Amino acid sequence: MASFEGGSLVLFSTEIAQTEIDVTALVETYSRLLFRVVHSVLRNQAEAEDVVQDVFVRVIERRRSLQTIRDMRVWLVRVAWNLALDRRRRIRPMQMDESFAENLAANTAPADERLAEAQRMKAVLREMERLPRAERHILLLSVVEELGMAEMAKVVGRSESAVRALLFRARTRLRERLEARGGER
Amino acid sequence: MINSEETIGNVFAGLRDAEASPGLERRILAAIEERTSQQPVATPRWVWSVALACMIAACLFLAITVLHRHFNPLTQARHSAVSADTLSANGPEKDAQVASLLPHEPIAPIKTVAPERKAPLINTEDAVLLREMHAPSHPAPEAPLTDEEKLLLRVVRLGDPQVTAMLDHEVRARQEAEQEAEFQQFVEQSGKEDHKSDQITE
Repeated sequence: MASFEGGSLVLFSTEIAQTEIDVTALVETYSRLLFRVVHSVLRNQAEAEDVVQDVFVRVIERRRSLQTIRDMRVWLVRVAWNLALDRRRRIRPMQMDESFAENLAANTAPADERLAEAQRMKAVLREMERLPRAERHILLLSVVEELGMAEMAKVVGRSESAVRALLFRARTRLRERLEARGGER
Repeated sequence: MINSEETIGNVFAGLRDAEASPGLERRILAAIEERTSQQPVATPRWVWSVALACMIAACLFLAITVLHRHFNPLTQARHSAVSADTLSANGPEKDAQVASLLPHEPIAPIKTVAPERKAPLINTEDAVLLREMHAPSHPAPEAPLTDEEKLLLRVVRLGDPQVTAMLDHEVRARQEAEQEAEFQQFVEQSGKEDHKSDQITE
């Protein structure tokens, strides 16, 4: 049971208890993982939290059929993944990437190198977006580092060997393009 | 040349270590609670099924009742019989009043007034005769116009005064008498002239 302040959650939990699957437990267990999965696509905290919220609203809407789901973790990641891709089509990803890179550079690089580091990170993000779609998706899922090959394969609907090959090609292509881009300068 | 490996690693680390703001779970649960409180109380599916079945049954019953009333000859016959009894029981004076109150539609011929009985075995010819006998009688269709009538109709339509005048018996008789007289006069004159010419020739 959740340990949130106030008594409203207790009442809410008793209401949800009727649905046989404890949604509160699901939120506690998977919300952080789902946030990272969604954030890898959107690169924006507020948008990612909004999408995670949508995921659990979907869970509530389909609570009658949740018993038939065999792997809840993969199912939730898949729902979150699809919602994140859908949300990314509607927002301006380039602006998100810029602010994300600047924030990231501020945390990782010394003050005198922040601007250059932010530029390099933007270049990495830009090249990631230019990768073929299947390679980009696998690369983003692998970034989370919490999903195994089998789980990633289920999320994107491919075989494990295909996922391995796509991941290898994505990393190689990204590195080559960035090196080529650096060589042009 | 940029150190691509290091930058890629930094970006991946940034994505991997992304943290939601504190209280994410509470916000999610609050949103779900709000969502569930907005939803109306879900009616069980079987209730909708039963309601639908009841509605269909009621519609069927209504349709059958209407059809039964509309097509049942016994009901129609009873209605007609009641009307006729009302007319005859009140006497001829009140019949007119009652008849004026009744709808002005012609009463449909009653095919089966008595309840159906088992028909006796009859052959086909008798059956045809019986059917013809019980068939509703209608006035015979108007006979086509004769040639004379057609001619008369055409004359009237054309409206020629001379031809129309010929239709009057007196005028026609007078004209015929005049023509006869003229003809007789002509015959007599021509007879006299022939006699004179014969004498001259001789």
